[in-house]
Amino acid sequence: MNKLYLWGIIITAFMLGATYYTVVLTKGGLNGDIVNMLAITGAVALVVITVFVVVKYVRQMQTDTAEGQLADEDWDGIGEYLNEVPKGWAIVFLLTLVWGMWYFTIGYPVNAYSQIGEYNEDVVVHNAKFEKQYANITGDRLVEMGESVFLAECKVCHGLSADGIDGKAADLNARIEAKSVKFIIENGSNNELIGMEMPMPDRNGLFNATSGALITDAEIELVSSYVADGMSGKGAEIYAGTCAACHGGDGKGMDYVAPNIVAFTPTLVSNILKHGKKGAIGQMPAFDRLNAKQKEAVGAYITSLSK
Amino acid sequence: MENRPLEYDYTVAKMFMVSTIVLGIVGMLIGVILAFQLAYPDVNLMLGEKFAEYTNFSRLRPLHTDAVIFGFTFNGIFATWYYVGQRVLKVSMAESRFLMFLGKFHFWAYMLIIVAVVVSLLAGVTTSKEYSEFEWPIDIAVVVVWVSWGVSIFGLIGIRREKSLYISVWYYIATFLGIAMLYLFNSMEIPTFLGQSAAGESGIGDWYHSVSMYAGTNDALVQWWYGHNAVAFGFTVPIVAMIYYFLPKESGQAIYSYKLSLLSFWGLMFVYLWAGGHHLLYSTVPDWMQTMGSIFSVILILPSWGSAINMLLTMKGEWQQVASSPLIKFMILGSTFYMFSTLEGPIQAIKSVNAIAHFTDWIIGHVHDGTLGWVGFMIMAALYHMAPRVFKREIYSKSLMVMQFWIQTLGVVLYFTSMWVAGITQGMMWRAHDEFGNLAYSFIDTVTVLHPYYAIRGVGGLLYLVGFLMFAYNIYKTMSSRRVEESELQSASPMGA
Amino acid sequence: MFHWLEKHPFFFAVAVFVTIAFAGAIEIIPNFAQASRPTIGTAPYSTLELAGRHVYIKNSCNACHSQLVRPFKSETDRYGHYSLSGEYAYDRPFLWGSKRTGPDLMRVGNYRTTDWHENHMKDPAGVVPGSIMPSYRWLFKNDTDIDTAFAEQLTVAKFFSVPYNKPVPMKDGSSIVVKMGSSIEDAKAIALAEAKLIVADMKDQDVKDAVAKNKIPEIVALIAYLNSLK
Ligand code: HEC
Ligand code: HEC
Ligand code: HEC
Ligand code: HEM
Ligand code: HEM
Ligand SMILES: [Ca+2]
Ligand SMILES: [Ca+2]
Ligand SMILES: [Cu+2]
Repeated sequence: MNKLYLWGIIITAFMLGATYYTVVLTKGGLNGDIVNMLAITGAVALVVITVFVVVKYVRQMQTDTAEGQLADEDWDGIGEYLNEVPKGWAIVFLLTLVWGMWYFTIGYPVNAYSQIGEYNEDVVVHNAKFEKQYANITGDRLVEMGESVFLAECKVCHGLSADGIDGKAADLNARIEAKSVKFIIENGSNNELIGMEMPMPDRNGLFNATSGALITDAEIELVSSYVADGMSGKGAEIYAGTCAACHGGDGKGMDYVAPNIVAFTPTLVSNILKHGKKGAIGQMPAFDRLNAKQKEAVGAYITSLSK
Repeated sequence: MENRPLEYDYTVAKMFMVSTIVLGIVGMLIGVILAFQLAYPDVNLMLGEKFAEYTNFSRLRPLHTDAVIFGFTFNGIFATWYYVGQRVLKVSMAESRFLMFLGKFHFWAYMLIIVAVVVSLLAGVTTSKEYSEFEWPIDIAVVVVWVSWGVSIFGLIGIRREKSLYISVWYYIATFLGIAMLYLFNSMEIPTFLGQSAAGESGIGDWYHSVSMYAGTNDALVQWWYGHNAVAFGFTVPIVAMIYYFLPKESGQAIYSYKLSLLSFWGLMFVYLWAGGHHLLYSTVPDWMQTMGSIFSVILILPSWGSAINMLLTMKGEWQQVASSPLIKFMILGSTFYMFSTLEGPIQAIKSVNAIAHFTDWIIGHVHDGTLGWVGFMIMAALYHMAPRVFKREIYSKSLMVMQFWIQTLGVVLYFTSMWVAGITQGMMWRAHDEFGNLAYSFIDTVTVLHPYYAIRGVGGLLYLVGFLMFAYNIYKTMSSRRVEESELQSASPMGA
Repeated sequence: MFHWLEKHPFFFAVAVFVTIAFAGAIEIIPNFAQASRPTIGTAPYSTLELAGRHVYIKNSCNACHSQLVRPFKSETDRYGHYSLSGEYAYDRPFLWGSKRTGPDLMRVGNYRTTDWHENHMKDPAGVVPGSIMPSYRWLFKNDTDIDTAFAEQLTVAKFFSVPYNKPVPMKDGSSIVVKMGSSIEDAKAIALAEAKLIVADMKDQDVKDAVAKNKIPEIVALIAYLNSLK
């Protein structure tokens, strides 16, 4: 076989191999997405057409001979043949021109394409597809779904293992750290954690019924580690006297009064995602662009972490 | 027509040849650094924490693009103009003291601008507009230099002996006019020292700072009308000017078809300007403008390929020349890459394909198969052809040239295939939803996956740079090696072993 | 005709120019007025935000980050609502970018916060393992150029009627007023007040000290700008 064709085939095979690798062996994948398919078709066409056309002309360097009538002029020794334009080229040029005029004046206006219209349709299709599915996602599947949301949206702050990356965000493997509890007792909290504006008072409003006085530094220290340790260790009386009234004796919170502080609940996480949260560690942004099911799922996932 | 041999004066051409090579090295070296910064972020600190502000990726990136475009490419364009212009118009620069002066002024003023650009970009003085980052004082200097080049072109044309303009001259004229129009409109900006406070203070803040005349979507439209056509009139039109002269000249072949030259030229002029919308697909510019950009991009394939095909056909029956001359190899492979990138561009300009390609490394791949494979190869070939004639010495080493050709070809192939894979992978990952309908990947997943391709690209770029250094060495040695006979060879350049 | 043109350089140049100038006009002019109208809820940049925008441009963040959310489900899921033309009415220059080495930042103010930016700009890979973004530690030391930002406010107010010190309508029917200083001193005081709100959420002691001494490190302005991207 002519060396030229061999090279053409090698180059084509190499580029098609790279494309195949991209689509099948890396993380991308066609995913049944028409846009992906068109892009790959374009890529393949690009390689095949270029190689084919170039080989055709280079082949003429090997086999054909230059001839034709020369123009009268020559410039610095460079002459010009008066050859006709290559037919194939001329025809395709004409066709693209006609197509372009047609498309711009008729094809496109009649089609009435709008990119926002297309987007809206896509969203409807996407939502319809998943709404049906969402109803059936519960239990472990819900946790899995939550993990998928977490990995796409939350891990940049909370880290891959949800440990908060050295205190840069909350460690979600435990309900709360002593440092945060202490901060909240000293400063109060107003993050709509129970879904509505219901602030927790700061230390000047926290009365210890057992001691009959406002909560003291030492008591704060104790009760903070008591809460952070999952309601164990020293500080039970302080908790009972100061906090139980709102958070309940077991710390599981009460509807419309105070949130659960021993365990995450999907509702708590949902509320945090709705309003954001500002505390000892920093600010957690609100994530309103997640839909209700996604919030529920990530709530289930986070709840599962500290179990 | 007179028969007396003309003594062409290459003083200005030589000056621009040197600056082309120096800035090529600088620009490509920065490119290689950038490539490795993306693969190994520690390279951002290559001179330590203290200089990190000046060595990090984002400060250096505009320096790379401007060094290779306004440094390497445009100096190459000027160098070839001051060579080709005289020869195809049959008139020597030495015949006009004015033109000679203007040529030198053009060179030195341009060098001053380049120094100003380097200093200001390193200091972070930029308007952020791609390929037009400069603040107004530099813009004004650019206009002055541009006008001086224009006067020099039309001055030379004014005293020409060859009545009819050769194809290359058409393209040089178009380069001049195109860039003039584009640059002027895209650089409309108001210096902020004009602001005056209620308390009557004026001249507040940095004197060189300005604010764009256009806002938001309009600014984007003007910028990409500029950006796209800067590619046209910087990376396409003047490079086509080069190949139309250097390929037939070096091979001794006549241009295959005058008609094809004509149709390609006017086709390119007419179609190119409409295609800028392909940089703004799915943006907030109206749908019809985007559609216009896509349509004309597809039509643009033909006038682009017309020139390339004309060149390939010019070599009809001359395979032995392609096989034996590395100089001709550069030009033939250059045309091939030109065809590749002018088909790749239109394909990426199709809206659905652009949905994947835009914002990814596939575009970077497209950029570099055009710039490395076409622009770089052609400028080097042009300088190789010029060197024996302006220095009156044979090219120092042919075997070095052959080696350079293969090293750089491998470099380009590694560059564009790695970016091909990287871009398409990333584009698909961004779009992917998982079985639950959630995004399948967080952004960082789509970054870490690219590491191997960034590393391969770095190696490809390094190979290209090594090849360029071999080129620089070869030209340097040419300037200082043995003399060849006074009589200049009509075609094939003399090359030493 | 073409052969004639090739012998008459002046007319040749005119023909080329007309051919290339024509398309530009069609491309740019028709939409010009419409695209410059701001959407409801889009306000001009405050002094500190504008200074932060200058820091963003000075460091060419746009080399890696786009600010354009395309109308695809995958992008609106990741970044929020697709971009609208009028949202850019006060962007001079526009900062859409052309390469997304890093994520889009059009609405980053919605889902990243001051303290996160502080950690991230200091050491991106420390926050996001595998990040290839450079760290920008010098922003914590360099002082912000408020003068130039103020000069720009004055310029755009004068030449482009950008509504500083005037009510700007918001989506909920209310309106806000973005202040522009009446003198350099005034502008600096306004910027400093904004800066204090930002540093309250920051941890870096040097930055806090600097602001306490009425200086504004570049990072503070940059974060003010990033937070304003919504
Ligand atoms: C008056 C009722 C009340 C009392 C007493 C009270 N809390 Fe709270 N607590 C709340 C409310 C309401 C919230 C939710 C505030 C919000 O939305 O930010 C809350 C929130 C918290 C949180 C924050 C949870 C999180 O994820 O940020 C912690 C921790 C907490 N309380 C611990 C305590 C401790 C320990 C005590 C006793 C020392 C205590 N609370 C006493 C009402 C109370
Ligand atoms: C920009 C950074 C950031 C992102 C993104 C982020 N978080 Fe957070 N998150 C934080 C910070 C900081 C805190 C700690 C707030 C504090 O000081 O209590 C936090 C706290 C939380 C808490 C409360 C922990 C507690 O003990 O009260 C939950 C639950 C949470 N995040 C869930 C999520 C979920 C789910 C996502 C993704 C959908 C997410 N976060 C994304 C920064 C972030
Ligand atoms: C070399 C490319 C590069 C440069 C230059 C760069 N970034 Fe980034 N940026 C990234 C990458 C990659 C990410 C994603 C990984 C991460 O979060 O660190 C990112 C993430 C970010 C994010 C987080 C956005 C999100 O949605 O998570 C912000 C904010 C940001 N960069 C701001 C900036 C600013 C401001 C500058 C300029 C001063 C800048 N970046 C310069 C590459 C870059
Ligand atoms: C028919 C000819 C061409 C067409 C239709 C075309 C089309 C395109 C398209 C669609 C993009 C991507 C825009 C985006 O999505 O960001 C692009 C980018 C680019 N192309 Fe081409 N291209 C052509 C030829 C070339 C050639 C020959 C070169 C260089 C030698 C080149 C250099 C570039 C550059 C530098 C960019 C990047 C612009 C940026 O900064 O975003 N193009 N081109
Ligand atoms: C040694 C060879 C080179 C290497 C390694 C190299 C590397 C790079 C890198 C890493 C980038 C940034 C890509 C990104 O942001 O992801 C870049 C951008 C660019 N380079 Fe090069 N480069 C080289 C040579 C050239 C040459 C010779 C030219 C032009 C003649 C050129 C023109 C450009 C342009 C126009 C861009 C901007 C592309 C865009 O914004 O879309 N490069 N290059
Ligand atoms: Ca400018
Ligand atoms: Ca770009
Ligand atoms: Cu373009």
